[in-house]
Amino acid sequence: MSSTLTLNVPLNRVEGDLEISAEVREGRVTDAWCSGTMFRGIEKVLLGRGALDGLVITPRICGICSTGHLAAAALALDAIAGIAPPPDAVRLRNVLQMTEHLQSDLRQSFLTFAGDFAGPAHRQVPGHADAVRRYEPFKGETVLEVMRETQRLLEIIAIVGGQWPHASYMVPGGIVSAPSQRSRLQCRLILRQFRSWYERRILGCTLERFAEVRSRDALQAWLEERESHASGDLGFFIAFARALGLHQVGAGPGSFLSYGALPVPEDSAVRGVGGSGYLVPPGFLQGGEVRGFDPWSITEHVAHSWYVDYEGGLHPSVGETRPYASGNEGRKYSWAKAPRYEGQPAETGPLAELVLAGHPLISDLMKREGPSAFLRQLARILRPSLLLPAMDAWLAEAGGPLGYYRSPGPIHEGEACGLTHASRGALGHWVRIEGGEIAHYQIITPTAWNASPRDSAGRRGPIEEALVGTPVADPEDPVELGYVVRSFDVCLVCTVHSLRRGRPAGRLRLGT
Amino acid sequence: MTSTLYWLQGGGCGGDTWSLLNLEAPGLVEALELLGVELLWHPSLSRGSAREHRQLVEDLASGARPLDVLVVEGAVIRGPGGTGMFDTVERRPRKEIVAALARRARFVIAAGTCASFGGVSGAGEVEATGLQFDREEPGGFLGTAYRSGAGLPVVNLPGCPCHCEALAGTLAALLSGAAPDLDEWNAPLDFYGLQVHQGCLRNEYHEYRVEDADFGQRGCLFFHLGCRGPLTHGPCNKLLWNRRSSKTRVGVPCVGCTRPDFPPPHPFFRTRNIAGIPLDLPDGVDRPHYMAYKGMAAAAAPERLVARKTRI
Ligand code: SF4
Repeated sequence: MSSTLTLNVPLNRVEGDLEISAEVREGRVTDAWCSGTMFRGIEKVLLGRGALDGLVITPRICGICSTGHLAAAALALDAIAGIAPPPDAVRLRNVLQMTEHLQSDLRQSFLTFAGDFAGPAHRQVPGHADAVRRYEPFKGETVLEVMRETQRLLEIIAIVGGQWPHASYMVPGGIVSAPSQRSRLQCRLILRQFRSWYERRILGCTLERFAEVRSRDALQAWLEERESHASGDLGFFIAFARALGLHQVGAGPGSFLSYGALPVPEDSAVRGVGGSGYLVPPGFLQGGEVRGFDPWSITEHVAHSWYVDYEGGLHPSVGETRPYASGNEGRKYSWAKAPRYEGQPAETGPLAELVLAGHPLISDLMKREGPSAFLRQLARILRPSLLLPAMDAWLAEAGGPLGYYRSPGPIHEGEACGLTHASRGALGHWVRIEGGEIAHYQIITPTAWNASPRDSAGRRGPIEEALVGTPVADPEDPVELGYVVRSFDVCLVCTVHSLRRGRPAGRLRLGT
Repeated sequence: MTSTLYWLQGGGCGGDTWSLLNLEAPGLVEALELLGVELLWHPSLSRGSAREHRQLVEDLASGARPLDVLVVEGAVIRGPGGTGMFDTVERRPRKEIVAALARRARFVIAAGTCASFGGVSGAGEVEATGLQFDREEPGGFLGTAYRSGAGLPVVNLPGCPCHCEALAGTLAALLSGAAPDLDEWNAPLDFYGLQVHQGCLRNEYHEYRVEDADFGQRGCLFFHLGCRGPLTHGPCNKLLWNRRSSKTRVGVPCVGCTRPDFPPPHPFFRTRNIAGIPLDLPDGVDRPHYMAYKGMAAAAAPERLVARKTRI
């Protein structure tokens, strides 16, 4: 008799629709398939529309990272128009994207990921009662505070951009609003309030103190140093997640990708990381070696996706998307395509960003323990501590004489890509405008990277790879799989694809 | 008495859920408590295994468990070829679940433009539709004759996303037994009986036809930049967003996201004109009078507006 069991698990508490199939033998996952189960066909909406319409349509791809899509769309149009927004527009675009990251990191960590900590599966784990007190959905202390504080924080986006989610305040050449001194001060106050809450509730110490924690040993010493360190939500997360063994599961492909994001204006006191000119430096890490990022090394495969087949992979500037619902019988099993970098699957997101930026604590943990669901989530909880100081600095520096908008004039022709990072990682829009209309629009989202199905060479996507080896205690309620998948913070509403028409692309300009 | 609520996400972006988290004083959790709502399921926020969810849907569909409110976010995806296989739950078309739960619910709320009219999803190639309208066409997924258990049509709360107060306020009205007054699109007049234009801080610029032709200034966005505020019903400039501002206040032309024709076939951020006057005039206004009125208004514009001195 075979002891192989196939689990089919639709996952809630991810954005959009994801179903995992896992083959389990002797209590461990031996193979996995990650399937996006919805095709929205947004692309058709974009083709033939006005040159600026990506600014309105693409944020509506995703309710929780609308600002990321807006930024990518605006960057592509900046590049097509050949215009550089004034430095203060760059500052505020960055600040608003970072605001979206903060809310996303906190909500994902404590409303989504930690929800299972309080679940019945862990009743025997020490600290479970405390987990219930903190993370019970709609009741937990941390849950309620995160809801309140992230809601306030998002007022920053409304003050500058009108509303969150789904506004279109970034346009080629800058942003549409010119926030007054009062508005900028208001934003700084909201940010300070958020920072002091994050320090008190999440870190249990100041940002400056935590920045001194540069290794696993230092982290251990920090946890023991004061009661507030161990009892903050970061301290609790570390203890509980490690008690569950989350540092031993979910390694993934071991390759990490960043396009580069949050460009630092030249006249800013904020320094780019590693001389890159970005707060999130671009790069590709594989086998312990970091290489420069080349956008031409990206391809997308559809061998296992419900699209009409083509050979190997295509660059997104010539990518095509023809839906082909072939059912569940053949080898196709997902509406997500399979993006590859130099032909390899790659993970993206806060962990990739922090590792490529050489964050001392995360890098030390990576060296000692390797990537894991725990490390991925830790990176997400810590990312706000790295963003907050730069956000305040940029709000303080804004208000210079060059304003927030430089008119690009009408946009008729051209082709470019807008590369940035949404809250979940690398995001790119590949756009071609012909006769003032959109002729090509291809989007690769962070979740397309992370939740990708197999490619034409049969290589698993990062989440599929991360699932292999995961122990499953109760096949009826495989919480372990949930942790591994959710540590990637998947957002399946984003797995949209686009169609092209007309001639193949020429050279691409990069809007980053 | 508690009322049960099931939140279903179809073809959409989840934005109405995130918008709902903007609810303040009372916030979402307090509001549900005060209204006595038991949230049976929300796909982004609930805990519970796939097995528990399967059982819940079965019990609701069979009537074994009563369902007071069904909130649908996102369009109903019917493609390809009417099969619904572009959007599946455990390999079954999701539209079947929508139909089964709509049969049982006392009230059905369409949260957002996709669920109301199809919206951005409906403009695509997946045969998506709103629950009781397919863009301007009555019928949609459930048909014109559909009535929920309480005898109401689907209550539409359009907006991309819909405003959190519209959702909370409508829920409160329905559960207190006060059927809300609806407009021709089955949207509650309390929230959709006014225009986005009302309350925009650029109103004085609009009044004297002091118009911007490019982004980044203080004038009105109607004549050149495609603002749909005077043609769009919704509470954006009355209730504001995130308690602070609105798109038109900061200078983003209204895109008409509560309208059944959203997204419209013509480009955003560009006004279609005839003889320098917009093709689409403010709701209900006739052209000759409007032209005369705007001509005189522009002539009467005070210098402080013409020079964009008045702050907004
Ligand atoms: S910008 Fe739009 S909403 Fe504001 S006054 Fe002008 S037309 Fe009305």
